[in-house]
This record gives sequence, C-alpha cells and structure tokens, in this order.
Amino acid sequence: MEKVLSKKAFPQWVKKLESYTMYLPRKDGDFWNYEVIKNPEIIDLDYLNTVLSPKKIIFPQREVLLEFSTSNEEELKINEVLPEEAQSVIFGVRPCDAKALTLTDKVFGGDFKDPYYWKRRNSTALVGLACNTPPSPNCFCLSVDGSPHSKEGLDILITDLGDKYHAESFTKKGDDLLNLAKALFKNPTAKEKKDLEKIQAESKKKIQRQIKDTKKIPPKLKDMFDSPFWDEESLSCIRCGICTYLCPTCHCFDINDEVTSSSPIKGERVRTWDNCQFPDFTMHSSGHNPRPDKAARLRQRILHKFQYFVELYKNYQCTGCGRCISKCPVGIDIIEVLEKARDYGS
Amino acid sequence: MDHNTYIPKLAKIIEIKEEVGGARPIKTFRTQFLSTNNFSFHSGQCAMLSVFGKGESIISISSSPLLKDYLQFSILKMGRVTSSLHEMQVGDIIGIRGPYGNSFPVEDWKGKNIIFIGGGIGLAPIWSVLNTALSIKKDYGDLMLIYGARTSKDLVFQEELEELRKRMPVHLSIDVEEPDWKEFVGFVPQNVTDKKPSPKNAIAITCGPPIMIKFVIKALEGLGFKDEQIYTTVENKMKCGIGKCGRCNIGVHYVCKDGPVYSWAEFKKLPQEY
Repeated sequence: MEKVLSKKAFPQWVKKLESYTMYLPRKDGDFWNYEVIKNPEIIDLDYLNTVLSPKKIIFPQREVLLEFSTSNEEELKINEVLPEEAQSVIFGVRPCDAKALTLTDKVFGGDFKDPYYWKRRNSTALVGLACNTPPSPNCFCLSVDGSPHSKEGLDILITDLGDKYHAESFTKKGDDLLNLAKALFKNPTAKEKKDLEKIQAESKKKIQRQIKDTKKIPPKLKDMFDSPFWDEESLSCIRCGICTYLCPTCHCFDINDEVTSSSPIKGERVRTWDNCQFPDFTMHSSGHNPRPDKAARLRQRILHKFQYFVELYKNYQCTGCGRCISKCPVGIDIIEVLEKARDYGS
Repeated sequence: MDHNTYIPKLAKIIEIKEEVGGARPIKTFRTQFLSTNNFSFHSGQCAMLSVFGKGESIISISSSPLLKDYLQFSILKMGRVTSSLHEMQVGDIIGIRGPYGNSFPVEDWKGKNIIFIGGGIGLAPIWSVLNTALSIKKDYGDLMLIYGARTSKDLVFQEELEELRKRMPVHLSIDVEEPDWKEFVGFVPQNVTDKKPSPKNAIAITCGPPIMIKFVIKALEGLGFKDEQIYTTVENKMKCGIGKCGRCNIGVHYVCKDGPVYSWAEFKKLPQEY
C-alpha cells in the first residue's frame, strides 16, 4: 500500500494510533533516543539517528526472566516473567536499524525460539524513516547490502518529500496502521512518485563512506585467525565496549540472579546485555580464558560480524550505521580495519 | 508461544557424595525432579543447574541416560554457583534446565573397542557414556579406562573405579610420586603412550583440562589413531545453553549447541581458540 500524508497531518495520524504504545525519537540533551510518546503534538522526525537503536525496545538492556522466592514453609517457587503483549509502534526507525532486527531475529529464532524477544518483536510494528541525507558521516549501509531506502524489516517506510511524507506499507501490520487514519492519506500522484525516485537515487550519492569489495572480506578473514594483524589493530583499544553496546546487531547477553532478600530468599533472574570486548566475557571460573587479550577479542568482534555470521546466516552482521566508528573513544574504525584486513599481506 | 527453555525445573538433591576433599573439592550430587520427569538426554549432553540467588552453571550429566530415577552431576568447587552447590544439603532444591548440546554417537560405535581417557573432573562427562557402554557391553568390543589426576586424593569415583576394575582394564595415574602408589606416575598423555591402546577398530574419548586434551590427542596420533577415531568434549563459559548469549563459540560453532562433543576431525577444522 502506497500513500501520501501531509506533514501537518502527521501528528493526527499518530494520535489515531493511541491504542498502541508509541515510541519516537526524542531529544535528550545533545542526543536522540527512543521514548514512549504520550502527546503526539510534540513529535519531531527531524533527527539524525538515535544513540541506541530500537533494538533496545525489542531486546532491552535489562529484563527479568523469572522471579524466585521461598515462602514461610521454605518451599521454593519460581515464576516466569514474560513481557506484556502490548501492541507497539516504533516510529522513525532508520533502515539500517530495521535491518539489524532481521539479523537479531535469526539469532533469537532457530531451534530455541526466545520467548522474551519474540513477544515484543511480534507485537511491535516498525515505521521507518528513509535517510534522504545520511544521518551520520560514518554511514556505510551501501557497503553491507543495505540502502538508505531499504524496506527490509520494516512494516512501513516513510520518505520525506518536503511538505509531505510518502508512506509505503509492506505488511499487514503496516496496512493496519495506515487504515486507522484512512482519511488523512491520499494516493501518490505521478509527480510524487517521480520525486520519490529522484530522492532515493540522490540519497545514495550522499553517503560519504564505503568499504570497497566487501565480498572479498569474509574469505580473507577466514585465513587470518592466527595473523599478527589483530595485535596491531587492537593496540589502541581501551576495552570500553562502546562499539558493541551501541551496535544494533550485537546480541550477546549475560544472565544473573539479583537478590532482594537472602532469608527467606527472594529475587529475580535478569538478562542484561554483555560484551565480547570484556575480559571476563569468556573467562572460565578456573581463570582459563580462551580469549585472553584485546587482540583475541577484537578478532572475535570482527570475525563474528564478517565471517562467522556470514557463514551461518549468509548476511553480514553489520548494517553500516556507523555508531561504533563515531563513538569509539580511540578511533578504531571498522571500515579501516576491514579494508586493511582485505589487503593484508598482499 | 514456544516452550520457555530459560525456566528451570525444580529438583531435589537426594544424595551427596564427597569425592575429593582439600583445596579443589569435588562432590557428586544425585537429583530428582519434583514434578514428573520428562527430562530425556543422551550421554555427553549438559544441563544448566541453578542455585537460586546465586545463578546458573553448565554441568555435564555424569549418569547414564539408561538410569531413569535420578540425574547425577560431579562438580568441582570453582566459581560462585559451584561453591554454593558444595554448601547444599540433601533435600535442598536446585533448578535444572536442558539438556543442551550434542552427544556421543554411541550407536555408530557398536562393535568397536572404546578407550576412555580422562583427567581430573574430566571423568564426569565420560562417566555417562562409559556406564552406557558398560550396561550394554555385549554391543561393544573391549573397553579400557585411562584416568589421572594431580594426586591420588584428586581422583574421582574411587570406589566405583575399584568396582570397574572387575569389568574392564582401568589404568590410573597421578602427576607426582606418592608413597604406596603402585600405578603410573606422570601426566595422562604419558600414560596413554605407556599403555599403548591399539587403534584397530577403536574409538578414543578424551576429556579434561584443555592442555591435557591437546597432548592426549598428540599421544593418540602417535599410536596411529586417525582423527575420526578421536572424540573429545569441550567446555566454555556459557550463560544461555542455546547458542544465543554469544560467548562459548569457537569459530562458527557454539559449544553449548553444536558441541560439546566433537570428533578430532571436526574439531581441528575450528579455529584454535578454546
């Protein structure tokens, strides 16, 4: 379904979706982040990209898996805590971040479907905002099979056409959202369709960064496991982990018990994001660590994204959002690392 | 919605046996589920054990799947969860989820001789498959156990090992000389070379510390074992048990899901990161 909506009518559309929990990017100090929006009058899609991707809504940084407690009779009880099945809409999802969710889908799917992830995923519609200009100077989606107007993973893609939005729905979830405010939407005119094409073509030219010959990288990495390259590239890393915390595709997590009372015992088992750049991520309780240094951990991050994931799922586990490049405090640049690896020893 | 694998089933500790004392104590726990037991597993698989309030730890199941009354785990006191387990008493409740991972291809080994090679607590994952083979002994050829630990006090299943001697050759070793020790002195790989098990129609299974595994494999290769005849079980830090939390991988393999059992032919193809 392909429609056009005037910018003035946008808040009215959002208002029509009141029965949904709505997330929109909101400016908080210097940064944008997703927040639940109650008042659609204050919404603003004039933003670059959020610090954290909408992954944090589907797969929160901290979530309770179960509760446990001992009653007076000392009987231990556990209680499964699944997320509520609230119908939600996330507005303004950048195409790279929507695609990232199609990648975490692969991880949280498979033989063991993760019920926490899928409860939220299935009840959430994603309304994307195409990147007519790249939100970051470090965007490189074109180099990792993405595009600033990609619909992958989205229910609706909105494109800014100046005084109006072009909105295309690709799924039933998307159609439902448009149908709730039918009167606000018009069918696109031939000129509007032409404008859309032009904007899409131009947006690609505005992307400043790229990886050349990305396809050559996975087979090259496969032969570089034992290379001194990783020592060289990881020297400046201060293992802060920001690269993976901000990554829209990273999915590693920890599970721990948090206790509120020790006698009788009462507490929660919580899942939190974890980070392959931390030494204790892989350290056995004996002290043995299969990834004992920064080189092994940078290698894991790069190989996971550009070799292991490609081998397992036929996709790069990177959507080119550029967050890890922009926020790395020591300037480790994944594009540079990959290009150096591609040319290493030749 | 699919079954929620993160929710453990409650089980009662019905028996605790102190295997090894001292600074690196090992205890064997037998557990029974509180509700009906539909926990079916294969030798080599692991379970995620919970001590509520402390967390979870992945532990290999050391009982044979042919035994239906209880699950057995032999656990070295090491981290937060295993230390709490060591403080528990008979009657205490733990959580168990799983089983996770692949298993030993025991069906493919029928008619073959099997050499079990363990070091320290590494006998625990082997114990399950050893007992399975032993209980249907007529299906297999000759069985042999080569097992060692740092000192004679660090050997697990000592009573069972004495019983086992009546049914199959058992070759023990300790790392350094002790008074009254009549068996081999030296590391497990050296004992393998010393006992010279024949590779003919044989399978060798080894489990122990990573460094021991590496040298046992070298010793077996020296005796003429082919890569396909050598099996090992690998351990890594794990949180989920289902290939999602991202830390136990060796290359594209998640040890919790694609392992922990590997033939050396498969394992040597993976990056050497374990």
